[in-house]
Amino acid sequence: MAVHAPGAEARFDFGYRHAGATALALFAFGALLVVFEPTSVAAVQNFFLVFGSLLVEAIPFIALGALVSAGIEVFVPKTIFEKLASLPRPLQLPVSGLAGAAFPVCECGSVPVARRLIVKGLMPSAAVTFMLAAPVLNPIVIASTAVAYRGRDILWPMVLGRAGLGFLVAMAVGYVVSDETKEQLLKRRSEKAERHDHSHDHEEGGRGRAFFGHLSGDFVFMGRFLVIGALIAAALQTFVPQSIIGGVANTPVLNLLAMMGLAFLLSLCSESDAFVAASFVQFGVGAQLAFLVFGPMVDTKLAILYGATFRQGFFRTVVVVVTAATLIGCLWLEVVFG
Amino acid sequence: MSAVRTAEGLRSSERVGRSVCPTRVLDAVALGSWAAVFWFLIIADRTSLFLSSRTAWVVPTGAILLTIGFVGRVASVRSESPAPITRRGAWGVGLIVLPVIAVLALPPASLGSYAADRRSAFSSGGISTSASDIAAGDLSLLDVAGGLRSGEGVDALIERAGEDVDFTGFVTREAGAPADEFVLTRFLVSCCVADALSVSVRVVGAPPGGFKADDWVRVSGQMYPLGREVIVDSTTIEAVERPKRPYLSQ
Repeated sequence: MAVHAPGAEARFDFGYRHAGATALALFAFGALLVVFEPTSVAAVQNFFLVFGSLLVEAIPFIALGALVSAGIEVFVPKTIFEKLASLPRPLQLPVSGLAGAAFPVCECGSVPVARRLIVKGLMPSAAVTFMLAAPVLNPIVIASTAVAYRGRDILWPMVLGRAGLGFLVAMAVGYVVSDETKEQLLKRRSEKAERHDHSHDHEEGGRGRAFFGHLSGDFVFMGRFLVIGALIAAALQTFVPQSIIGGVANTPVLNLLAMMGLAFLLSLCSESDAFVAASFVQFGVGAQLAFLVFGPMVDTKLAILYGATFRQGFFRTVVVVVTAATLIGCLWLEVVFG
Repeated sequence: MSAVRTAEGLRSSERVGRSVCPTRVLDAVALGSWAAVFWFLIIADRTSLFLSSRTAWVVPTGAILLTIGFVGRVASVRSESPAPITRRGAWGVGLIVLPVIAVLALPPASLGSYAADRRSAFSSGGISTSASDIAAGDLSLLDVAGGLRSGEGVDALIERAGEDVDFTGFVTREAGAPADEFVLTRFLVSCCVADALSVSVRVVGAPPGGFKADDWVRVSGQMYPLGREVIVDSTTIEAVERPKRPYLSQ
């Protein structure tokens, strides 16, 4: 039994009324679904299927990201990050980008890991490069891109173009934010909340306790924003037909921007997006490549995750730099490969 | 020995000062509810309604990781200085639990004709269009639809024109189509339903008014490639239950 100081119960507000109100709202939501069966309407059913499937696929990666992030925080000594920070500056970004190749998770998992790396002392620009490169460069994504384009003339331009351009674009963003400090880049509230959430775990000792404190903290923090992102993505997938961009397939520049816009709206996992890109046969190499490079770095659910993790303005920087660098790279590749 | 006793004494005195931390209970609810969803998908065999067979492994992975997280948080739920639940914290966890309620409360379903209207058609050149795949063995829906995307594939399909095929899918109706025709559609999923691409053939010789949109049917007949589509001249069409795995995978 817990022992409180005399009068502690009277002073301590557990906040159970907030939990009760939330539980009541969830119960009402469940009752509405069971009683009215809104999925008898095709659009609603489509929405819930896409919403559920995006989360069923992404939540394990968020959990894996939280696990790796907690492991880094608790078990990796700070001295390792100090050594990495002492690497010559021109080497840091390429090394961070290539490190992404060894981290086979989707973009949702790389955000909490990058955040932890920054908190732990890695150069913010290096962590951002890693975060953006991992979902494009990891071996599973490269393999799935190769399978999607197998048997086509554009197989190698797509596979090598995606990996090469993705690497360069990630480094470009890292370079642009290279003057930003941890305080300038990370959202202050998240750090404060983190200290609040986990300080007790540290104070009370025990690596296991600290590990699970960080794991659950990261999962709950990222999970809620992932749900918001998935809600928006599912609504867009339900109501915006993919054929909407078909009219600009042969318009230079606009075709690249249209495919980037579609990648943003669809919020596909980088391990599957190549199959969807390959279905847009009316678009050329450059436009399909733009979809594959842009999507893993900027999409609806990532916009929400970035907004929750980084300071205001970071998302805008990522959008501007990734759009410009992808556009230039894809135009250049279109000239070379037609 | 005395040192051990002292350490144990310290630990037990720490335990005395700890009480259940409400925010940690909330963390455990978030982790536990998602762990429950993944175990539910495994036990009820519903993974194939959300994911392709290629990515089905994420469900047991999620179940194990989240169960570990849940057990770990429950084990460390006591704190020397418990933090109260804030409104923001409660609604945040409520948001995480919301999809859990939806997955558990809604009846099992799969993408249908509404999605077929809004999604791109499968056209990946490498999956099934090698002429050798099409030239021999039973023709699958994927072989037929994918074959149309390359010159070699079309040639291989023409070689087999008039051969018997047997396809299962759901009915989609096109405005203005004759009453004895419908499009038989199936979705191909690479990772999750969000990336579904449609695969379809036109079925002719169907009983007029016999089948409505989204009915699952099994069509037997002869296959004929015609322009950019494949026609199946049906001999039998029977209504079937939605397959256990409604999406094609690769």
